[in-house]
Amino acid sequence: MMKRSFFALSKPRLVYDLLEPNPDPPLAIDLPLLFTLLLQEPLDLAGKTLIQKGDIVKKGQKLALYKDSMDYAVAPVAGTIKSVAPFSDDVNGMRTCITIEKDAGLDQDTQSLDFQETQGFAADHLNTLPGAPPFDILNGENRRISTIVIMGTDTDLLSTTAQYMSTVHADLLIRGARILKQITHVSRICMTKPQRLNSTARFEGIQVLETGLTYPETLPPIVMKNHLEKIITAGAAPEDMGICFIRAEAVVSLARAFEKKEPVFEKCITLTDKNGFRHRIEAVIGTPLKQIFNQLEIQINELDRIIINGPMQGFATFTPHHPVTPDMDSVLIQAREQIQAVPDNACINCGKCIQVCPADIPVNLLFRFLDTAQYEAAAEQADLASCIDCGLCAYVCTSQIALFHYIRLGKHELNKLRIDA
Amino acid sequence: MNHTTLTVSHAPFWHDGDSLFQRNLNIILALLPAAIFGILQFGAPALGVLALSLSFAMLWEAAINLISKKPPAIDDLDSAVIGLLFGMMLPAVTPWWLILVGTFVAVFVGKIIFGGTGANPFNPALVGMAVLMMSWNMFFDFDTAYVNYDFAFTALAPLEAVKAQGASAAQLFPLGDLFMGREVGAVGCVFGLGLIIGGIYLILRGYTRWELTVSFIAGVLVTASIFHIASPQAYAGPLFHLLSGYTLLGAFFLITESSSSPVNRIPMFIYGFLGGFMIILMRNVGSYADGTVLAVLLVNLVTPLVDNIRPTALGKDISNA
Repeated sequence: MMKRSFFALSKPRLVYDLLEPNPDPPLAIDLPLLFTLLLQEPLDLAGKTLIQKGDIVKKGQKLALYKDSMDYAVAPVAGTIKSVAPFSDDVNGMRTCITIEKDAGLDQDTQSLDFQETQGFAADHLNTLPGAPPFDILNGENRRISTIVIMGTDTDLLSTTAQYMSTVHADLLIRGARILKQITHVSRICMTKPQRLNSTARFEGIQVLETGLTYPETLPPIVMKNHLEKIITAGAAPEDMGICFIRAEAVVSLARAFEKKEPVFEKCITLTDKNGFRHRIEAVIGTPLKQIFNQLEIQINELDRIIINGPMQGFATFTPHHPVTPDMDSVLIQAREQIQAVPDNACINCGKCIQVCPADIPVNLLFRFLDTAQYEAAAEQADLASCIDCGLCAYVCTSQIALFHYIRLGKHELNKLRIDA
Repeated sequence: MNHTTLTVSHAPFWHDGDSLFQRNLNIILALLPAAIFGILQFGAPALGVLALSLSFAMLWEAAINLISKKPPAIDDLDSAVIGLLFGMMLPAVTPWWLILVGTFVAVFVGKIIFGGTGANPFNPALVGMAVLMMSWNMFFDFDTAYVNYDFAFTALAPLEAVKAQGASAAQLFPLGDLFMGREVGAVGCVFGLGLIIGGIYLILRGYTRWELTVSFIAGVLVTASIFHIASPQAYAGPLFHLLSGYTLLGAFFLITESSSSPVNRIPMFIYGFLGGFMIILMRNVGSYADGTVLAVLLVNLVTPLVDNIRPTALGKDISNA
């Protein structure tokens, strides 16, 4: 728990962790027996899926639910499908999880693929590389991406994954960026880098954007505003403005995959344990977190909290068996005693949220609209769509109102209303 | 698979640890230097007034919560702050029943009927004060209140003296005396230095906003200077106004009350300045010797209006779209 400083005349300073000099390589996590892969696509319980319980899959085999599914996973091992089941995410969105039991008797060589430097191939086979490269965004037909920004900075706190990948694997990153250029034909490639991070690598052909060390300076909308002179339109995604953000790890994975001519599965994760001690680990996608905790001898007790992807923007999982996913940069474990209850207080209009909001949203007004479920009014009169999801308002709230929760709910409900309309 | 039940909640998973209790506790702490000085100066009756006021305010809130079957809300100390502020604005010899009535008006009419903590459009303590001043004006005459006291300084209420005798009366009160509390007045409002120290503490801790205080003081000084320059015989100088009556309590504790003040920076400046301006206008032109209570209540009204002046949210600017 970060505490408010005694003197609080100005905004709070939440500082990103800087990568230590001469970082140690990540600890490799042993392969588990059971792998779990998550798919965004919900399971249609009435229909028949392409993959079924008991099917044998090869390592590197593409697993999609239906014939016309855009979404897919890639089997990290050869084995048998144990189950294809629904899985609900943190906002009660339905997803699908596929469990694969590793079969030592099967040939563990990767299924061979004809690697091509084309958009279609990348979107068809490389979306699930560690770092989750957004080839579906880059491949979008009605969008024109003019700039790719490689994120060598971590977007949330307590993570050094992106810094590690872009510093230690700078040579791979440069090769990956070249491949990315070939695939996408995007001429302008930028890379973010924390200001004080010493890196000897020379990134030729890549424009380096040095970002500040205070949260939320590395969030895509802020990077666009500060470094690319583009203000993101309220409610739009960076790709709507012609800019695509991609994790440094995705670019490194791309280089590795093209080098080996086969998909790679090792995901680098920064794990912060209950005592605040940081571990850097490398686990195969699909490994349950439990396996990592066991290997690091971290005890997970009743009512602890496991937070994936950072304390400000991440989500808390309901199960210690949550698998490692391609976009999982950090894991934070909070002991039961460190968790504050959410009280039922009213807003006192102190204005701290407004002082801290990087998007200049009238958060106190917005909260009043959201609290009374007036989602349309919240969007029209209180700039709901401008929110960049940094979570700072809830972090500083004197009344400890779950403001970010209200905002996420508001966006979700508004989306539903607009779809229904 | 053995299942461990985990805590699931929403981001952010950190909080800076601030709370309503902390905030109000700090406000009370900041009020203490001036309050303790008042007790030392006016003796046990002052202690009685402060203790009664603080406890009545909390008891009223607890009682109303009980009657209206709401969960008890006194543990956030909000009504304690209202009670303490209220008591600090009273003369040391205020009768108990006046405090009982005043705190009821402050807590119930000022705060609870609007929806409780955070929903009050006016500063609750001032709502109570305004009703008492209108209804029992004779108890707020600081000259008669302290007739039984024997002070080593001019035992005249500065603002009343100036109101009655013109600006020349201001010379009876050296600024140093006003600053160090050698004057008669309300229990918690005589010790200027204490109020300033407490106020600056709150600003540094981030519990009140400097924009409000600075613009309020600027409003007082600028308006009083204009009056003083226009007619030095009729109107006392700006520093006299700043250090007398409720002005300093107003600048650091009343105008900064969170629910009734704006949240954006430019509105804060307008609001604060307007408050300071109104006070001097009421003192110099109106019929009240000290206009702080009504002036602050009046500018509370403009809060929703001025708070519409706010920056354009990210990505809402048409020219960039």
